[in-house]
Amino acid sequence: MVLESEPPIFLNWIGPALLSFLASAAVLGLAALAVGFLIAAFRYGPVGGGDVTYRMLKNALGDLVSLSSRRILALAWLAVQESLRRRVLVGFGIFLLILLFAGWFLDTKSNDPATLYLSFVLTATTYLVLLIALFLSAFSLPADIKNRTIYTIVTKPVRSGELVLGRILGFAVIGTLFLGVMGLCSYVFVVRVLSHAHEVEVASLRSNPNDTSGARTGRTSLSQNHRHQVTLDADGTGSTDMVQGHFHEITPQIVGDKTTYVVGSPQGLLTARVPAYGSLRFKDRGGKGSERGISVGKEWKYHSYVEGATLAAAIWNFSDITPERFPDHLPIEMTIRVFRSYKGDIEKGIRGSLVLKNPRTGRASAEQFFVAKDFYVDRRDIPRKLNDATGQPLDLFDDLVVDGELEIWMQCLDNAQYLGVAKGDLYLRARDASFTLNFIKSYLGIWVQMLLVTSFGVMFSTFLSGPVAMMATLASMVVGFFAQFVFDVAKGAVQGGGPLESFIRIVKQQNVTTQLEPGLTTTIVQSTDHVFMTFMTSITSLLPNFKQFSNVNYVAHGFDIPPDAVLIQLCTAAGYVAAVFAIGYFFLRTREVAR
Amino acid sequence: MSQRQRFIRKIVYACVIAALLLPLSWLSQPAAKDGSKGGLLAQMRAEHNLSQADLGEIDPASETIKLATLGMRGVAANILWEKANQYHKEEDWAGLSATLEQIVRLQPNFVSVWVFQGWNLSYNISVEFDDYHDRYRWVIKGIDFLKEGTQYNRDEPRLLTDIGWTVAHKIGKADERVQYRRLFREDDEFNGSRPLAQRDNWLVGREWLVKAEQIVARGIPLKGKSPLLFYSRPPMCLVNYAQTLEEEGTFGEVAKNAWKKASDSWTEFSDRDLPTQHNLSVRLGEKEAYLKRAQEAQAELARLTPPGLREEIAKEKFDALSEQERTAHDTPSEQRTPEQHALLAGVKHKLEIHHLDIADRITGETHSGAFKAAEDATQADFMAKLIDSEREIVNFDYWTLKCRIEPDDSTLAARKAMYDGDRAFSKGDLVACSQAYEEGLKTWRQVLDKYPSLLKDSDLTEDLVASIGHYRSILHQMDKEFPKTFILQDVLDADAALQNPKVPLSEGASSGAASSTANDPSNAEVPNKDNDPSKPAP
Repeated sequence: MVLESEPPIFLNWIGPALLSFLASAAVLGLAALAVGFLIAAFRYGPVGGGDVTYRMLKNALGDLVSLSSRRILALAWLAVQESLRRRVLVGFGIFLLILLFAGWFLDTKSNDPATLYLSFVLTATTYLVLLIALFLSAFSLPADIKNRTIYTIVTKPVRSGELVLGRILGFAVIGTLFLGVMGLCSYVFVVRVLSHAHEVEVASLRSNPNDTSGARTGRTSLSQNHRHQVTLDADGTGSTDMVQGHFHEITPQIVGDKTTYVVGSPQGLLTARVPAYGSLRFKDRGGKGSERGISVGKEWKYHSYVEGATLAAAIWNFSDITPERFPDHLPIEMTIRVFRSYKGDIEKGIRGSLVLKNPRTGRASAEQFFVAKDFYVDRRDIPRKLNDATGQPLDLFDDLVVDGELEIWMQCLDNAQYLGVAKGDLYLRARDASFTLNFIKSYLGIWVQMLLVTSFGVMFSTFLSGPVAMMATLASMVVGFFAQFVFDVAKGAVQGGGPLESFIRIVKQQNVTTQLEPGLTTTIVQSTDHVFMTFMTSITSLLPNFKQFSNVNYVAHGFDIPPDAVLIQLCTAAGYVAAVFAIGYFFLRTREVAR
Repeated sequence: MSQRQRFIRKIVYACVIAALLLPLSWLSQPAAKDGSKGGLLAQMRAEHNLSQADLGEIDPASETIKLATLGMRGVAANILWEKANQYHKEEDWAGLSATLEQIVRLQPNFVSVWVFQGWNLSYNISVEFDDYHDRYRWVIKGIDFLKEGTQYNRDEPRLLTDIGWTVAHKIGKADERVQYRRLFREDDEFNGSRPLAQRDNWLVGREWLVKAEQIVARGIPLKGKSPLLFYSRPPMCLVNYAQTLEEEGTFGEVAKNAWKKASDSWTEFSDRDLPTQHNLSVRLGEKEAYLKRAQEAQAELARLTPPGLREEIAKEKFDALSEQERTAHDTPSEQRTPEQHALLAGVKHKLEIHHLDIADRITGETHSGAFKAAEDATQADFMAKLIDSEREIVNFDYWTLKCRIEPDDSTLAARKAMYDGDRAFSKGDLVACSQAYEEGLKTWRQVLDKYPSLLKDSDLTEDLVASIGHYRSILHQMDKEFPKTFILQDVLDADAALQNPKVPLSEGASSGAASSTANDPSNAEVPNKDNDPSKPAP
């Protein structure tokens, strides 16, 4: 999995985040108050305006204090009933249709079917639920106002805040129910699609003439567009190789005088690894420290390369390495890229070595050699008892780990060949979490997004008509999903310039890499873009970054979603919902119908 | 608005709808099974084979996706291409594969998508993997992708050609060809029930290329592919097959038959009518016939030409030159200025005496005969030159000679002996190695005496020089001296000359060749083999 950055620790994050939230809320609140006062002053004069503003604030506080959970629940139930009346279940039917015919649209020969299917169900669920939330939330209140059915509610002792909160809650309940059922269907779908069985093709089993241990190799039958190579011990037990991200255990079964082989269920397909990442630094070919390794000229700069047969090394520094966490061995998993500056022996891979080092004393284990497996997760279990380069015994925790810290040095052994690594390419597999729980956590991310869309939809619908509220919510979603792109355009990191410049390039069919002709027109175009992008950046900064709430990558690549990430997502969403609720409340209060 | 007005308005609407239905029906009424041709659009679809059923398989998934984009297919395809590029950059191969599947569902009949992405998978993505097993899997993935494309575009020779090309050349010519060919033979999924003996990438690739030929034979246009290269590929597959057999140590009747088949196929290719850019069809094998015709016509013209006429015309042409042109012509080459060099090409053209120039000046009874001879000679010359330029593109002379020489028993024996020598060398068996090499060198001498043009084949001389190097090393290890008068000295000289063109061929080389020049049927310049007629597809 590509790990651009690790999520922060929740406890470290919450303090500054809360302060930032409160500061923003205060600034925006004061700004809104000022605007409100100005409008009121314009209508009623300065004194009258001040009075209106004061009363508005006073009422708001009063409303907030006297919010009734009973009334909110009643309104929420009303929203649920209304959603059901609006045939919201059609959305669920669409989802089932998508799942039923998913095989038509997906690459059945994918090298990594688990990633593909998990990404698919999670993405499909996200988009569908967000669309349902968008339509439900944006059209509900305007439709009630237009049909005047709102009077059946506002004539009762209901407060505006309860009206907004009740709608958000009601639609969120519908969304949650949807997500629950979709999650269950998706889970069953993924498990069912990925489960398969092979048989050992007995006729293919061959012994190696140079091997006297009685081991045999062969292959399995074809299933789900793949087959495995089989290695069996003399007693008939064994396993398959790793294909499409999984392997199978094999056990012999003797019936009478005939031996058959039972191929177990796929292993390693649906996992939730809990990785312990270390910090990464490099040594260059002369042994000098550096932040990055060599660039081999690839456009994507994620990996840094270590030159072979030199002093160059990639060094991971791990902390919190304790016997309690790793009682038996140190399970290292790595995905190493290879770059050959010459072909060399095609039959042989590029060799590397791992050395475990005490960060303080420099005491090191003997080299452990490996052959780099491009694009595969290579697992190596480092035992507690090791030897150093001279053959002297070492204990992992007594001699190499100091204050929970340990260094792992990786070097490339082949001259003029390179091994490419990034921080997340070598980690300690601390433990495996429950896949089911991880799947639920990924749905929690979708739930948060649904809640945000619902809140925004309801908020916009308090002062806009249905279609306009929908467009506004949709725009918030689009900007939220492409927030990084907006920031990149504003920074100039995206070629082609801002919207006006891009439009001109399209009309003139001009390449994005060529400079615009210098002159007044270009200056005007770029200045306009600059002003527009500054405005867009400000708006984008205020809106939620929806990608931040997506946990698809973790689940699809078999990694546990860090609990800290989930907590941060929940808290962020809570902040947004609170802010949006306040805005919705004040806008609704400005409407005649809600007074 | 009164009720009556509303009623009238509804009637008007109904009439307008009915009136619009008439042209709509005329335009887009579908064809029916009872034989009716349907509306104009249906007829045009049938005429140009544009209906989905004519193009290929009807895929419900594809239709669903197209409908689901609500007319925004172009935008969706664009976004997916961007995504595919991003996945490629970030080396997310599962994501890339999935995106490609979606793109082709959106644009199943956009052949360039299949061609480009099939190439991308087999050539660009396969090499990102370090393990050749993975590389092979991605090469096959690209081929499977193209094969899937043929289901949607069944009458598309470009796709079939690309499948043939990738199976044949990517597997047969890559650096990993030894490993790829082995994996290809073992690949039950790809080969299905094909017998093991026929699981050769060159033969399988040729099957696809022949399928493409059959489609073109039905009148489907080639669209952007050169017919010359297109038709040269199937015979080249057989040539490469025969060559590869020998490289892998298969000689005797199997190799001989393979070469004979290649030779037959090449002859068939040389007899095929090939369209050229001059809107003329040529047959590559007819150059010699045209040359003969040209010679005969020239001889007839010469017979009818009065003595001194040619010289007279030459003088007139020279006199017609400007002062500057004459100076440029008369100035020795090394003293000419750049402007004079530039001028000279035009001068040469002006001084050229055409057959028709002569025929025009012949008067009397012989005029019509001379005119006919001049026309014949001009036309035959033109055709010979045209064929020659086409031949150069596919390196015709080289492969013709090769197809003639290789099935020869002595060539096969020579190759086998050198192969045995190379194998014994790699095993360190000095005695067997020197014996095999000595046998091989003797046999090669016979072959080269018979076909001296082979000395200009850089591949052959390089291979022989490498083996001679081994032989020299073996002799050294056996305390023997390398012979002072070496039996294949001409090969060493030829190789040196090819490595450094300034070094002339030694006397030995030319004398060795001179004795048997008459035996060399082509007696043609043998170009370097690097000019393989086949070229990468996109």
